Amino acid sequence: MAAELEGSKCLSGLLSGLAQDTFYGHPGITEELLRSQLYPEVSLEEFRPFLEKMKGILKSIASADMDFNQLEAFLTAQTKKQGGITSEQAAVISKFWKSHKTKIRESLMNQSCWDRGLRSLSWRVDGKSQSRHSAQIHTPVAIMELEIGKSGQICSPVVFKQLDKLDKICDIKRLYTMVSEYQ
Amino acid sequence: MEESSEQQLDAKSKVTSQLIDFEWKLGMAVSSDSCRSLKYPYVAVMLKVADHSGQVKNKSFEMTIPQFQNFYRQFKEIAAIIETV
Repeated sequence: MAAELEGSKCLSGLLSGLAQDTFYGHPGITEELLRSQLYPEVSLEEFRPFLEKMKGILKSIASADMDFNQLEAFLTAQTKKQGGITSEQAAVISKFWKSHKTKIRESLMNQSCWDRGLRSLSWRVDGKSQSRHSAQIHTPVAIMELEIGKSGQICSPVVFKQLDKLDKICDIKRLYTMVSEYQ
Repeated sequence: MEESSEQQLDAKSKVTSQLIDFEWKLGMAVSSDSCRSLKYPYVAVMLKVADHSGQVKNKSFEMTIPQFQNFYRQFKEIAAIIETV
């Protein structure tokens, strides 16, 4: 195996690149890009299995949401394996997970919402209005626009016309109280 | 009679939907095919809306806890403003 692959100098950069691709969904982080930027002396044939190994390790750690004890045990096992990692590499991976854990976990949560996560909410309240054809004064309304999902699907504006619909707020308030127990 | 003329004159009703109901549940995501250990609570919402023709549709979405807390704050603000308008 190429000597560069046994080192740990560029491993941190490699893990960042892997995180960008695997978790944050940034396009364009190809194996060729990573190789040419970080391990230019290594051939693609040798680099590929190395990259897969590191990707597998990172994905296992993230998927299991390992705490520090589990992480140490897991990485130690990897150093003892045939074709595993060196203890310097284990140290780099450990440091990387500790500093990126929160952000990676957040990405995994967002990914698991599929296309149903609420991305943004905007609203407007329209005041009382009158038209010359109608003597009826329109009661104030709230108009909400929700952006749902990765594709940015805009839910066509939703109007609350009757004030009694906002009584649902009491029900939602109950939800709010419940939710604070999960913080 | 008044209802329908009100709708005709209400330009907004052609492009907006009326909120009929707001259903919710508090769930806990445990695991998924792409992530073995998720362990996070989330709020799932189902909005029942009626378009100008009266057809009822469901719109569902999810929020993480911080997202829901922000959502709730906005709702409260809307309620407060509607009261004063």
